[in-house]
Formats: sequence, structure tokens, C-alpha cells
Amino acid sequence: MLIQIILVVSLALALVMTWRRARQDVIANREALAWSVLWVAAAIVVLLPGVTSWLASLVGVGRGVDLVVYASVVALFMLVFKLFIQHQRLERNLTDLVRREALRDLDRPKEDEPKA
Amino acid sequence: MKVIAVIPGFREETRIGETVRGVLTYVAVAVVVDDGSPDQTAERAKEAGAVVLRHRLNRGQGAALKTGTEAALRLGADVVLHVDADGQHDPASIPALLAPISSQEADVVFGSRFLGEAVGIPLSRRLLLAAARTFNALAVGVPRRVTDPQSGFRALTSSAARRIDFHQDRMAHCSEILRLVTRSDLRWREVPVRIRYSEDSLKKGQKPWDAAGIAWQLLLGIFTR
Repeated sequence: MLIQIILVVSLALALVMTWRRARQDVIANREALAWSVLWVAAAIVVLLPGVTSWLASLVGVGRGVDLVVYASVVALFMLVFKLFIQHQRLERNLTDLVRREALRDLDRPKEDEPKA
Repeated sequence: MKVIAVIPGFREETRIGETVRGVLTYVAVAVVVDDGSPDQTAERAKEAGAVVLRHRLNRGQGAALKTGTEAALRLGADVVLHVDADGQHDPASIPALLAPISSQEADVVFGSRFLGEAVGIPLSRRLLLAAARTFNALAVGVPRRVTDPQSGFRALTSSAARRIDFHQDRMAHCSEILRLVTRSDLRWREVPVRIRYSEDSLKKGQKPWDAAGIAWQLLLGIFTR
């Protein structure tokens, strides 16, 4: 089917790009490997949709499509939580910056107002 | 013993002056951290005789408190005293907070409204604080002996203030400081203090749903850094 060809070609391109970036030292080899696993797994699912049903029955979920949906929800949850934490870290860095600036005033206490 | 009071303030132009003057009758220096207020908080505090630092952006009470604590240490404080800007904390309770430190019986002293006299505390607030105490005990790991889970009225020796490295920028710093202190080998105790509830301070104070926010902040704090 056409959709299978398009998806598999896209995934193969993604795989090539991933390793090109790894060679360019943009991402670590470990990260490239993790992405590769994802691309290959996606390609397998596209070529042999039956494996999801097999996997689903393996973990005790009714249909293969359900398993994909459940897995996506878990993955999205983890991603959102990671974003929350990164946001929190950013907030702390901002606070550090604001604090450092506020404390600078302490070092020059006599000059209250800058001259106009 | 050089005691420096730290007063974080946000939009407190109407109350900060009185608070600073009240505190200065008991301690030598008051550091006010204006947490990015758009009003005259910094000016009023300066007029009342405080050393004023300004956060250019609003970063929250915990963040301002930490900035002020850092400033107090740089100014050579032996004891750092945390006081709310809104006048809830009766300055007359300051000597009671400092006593266990000057007699070298404690490194950190928390003011508790439940050991002391709480003026006009509504029932809803009382229930909320009871819930907070249970949450602190089960989720945060603060001993149940602590009677006041959200008191911002406290005194620390300079060495204790250096060791208690808190990171919660907003309201969760109370629980965080309690956890850090009670889990360290610092000697701590609670003393009765007088907290004055007024309609004014209640309006700006914490709402019941803020409790959920505090719990969430504490959860994120575990995973950050």
C-alpha cells in the first residue's frame, strides 16, 4: 500500500538523518541509538501491523490499536512532566539572576539614585 | 548579637512603613526586599528606615526572602529574622523568638500561632492549616511536633541561615525550610507568637486552593536539580 511506502521511506530518512547528526556531534551516540530504536520500531509496526495485536495480547490489552493509544498517553505524560521540570529550572535560573542583580545594590549603598 | 530582620514585600505600600518601624524598635537593621512591586513599596520602606533591595521582576515570597537572607549575611548578621510585610507578625513577639538563640539553646526558632495567641483566625483557616500539617507530616516529612505548618515568622543564627539552602520561590518555602531544619542536626524549637488576622491581610493571604499549588511546587522541587 502507498501509505506504507511513504511512511517507511520517511522513517528510513529519519534514521539516516539521525546518524548524520550523530556523526556531526550534534547529538550523542546514545541519543541517536534511542531515536533509531523508535524509527525501526515504527517501521516494523507500519510493515507488519499485526505485531501490535501480538504485543497487546502479550501485555493483556485487547487490541493492538488500544496498546498504541495507551503507550502514547504514557509517553505524553512523561514528556509534559519533563517540560514542567525544565520550566521550573528556568524559573530558578531567572530568580538567581534577579537575586544577583538585587544584591549588587548592596555593594554600593551610598549612591541611592543614579544621577539624571 | 547583631540581629537583622528580613522583610519580603510585594505591593505593600500601605503597610510596609508601619511594619518596618515596628520591627526597628526591636532590631538594629531591617532589610526589605521589594519583590518587583509596581507601587511605592520600596520608597515607603526606605522612608521608614529600612535597607531596601529590589527584585526587578516579581519572583515570589520565597525568592525575596532568600535574597534578603543573603543580604543580611553579607551585612554581618549574627541572627537573621524573617518577618512578613503585611503586619500579621506582631513585632512584640520578636524578643520571644530571639530568646532561645541568645541563650544558645537553639539555632532556629519558629514562631507558632497555635502555641500563642491567634487573633481573629477564622475556622476555615484553622482547618486548612490542620490539613497542611498532615500533608507536611506524610508527604514532606516534617515532624508532627511542629504545630504551625506555614509560619513565616522565624529566627536563624547566621550559620543556620547559611546551611538552610532553600529553593522554593513561592509559598512552598515554609514547608521546605521546616523540612530542611528538622532533618538537619540544627537545634530548633517553636515559640508562641502573636499573629494578627485582619480582613486586609486575609484578603491578600493564602486561599484554600493555594494549598494544591504548594503541594505541586513541592513535588516539582523534588525533581528539579
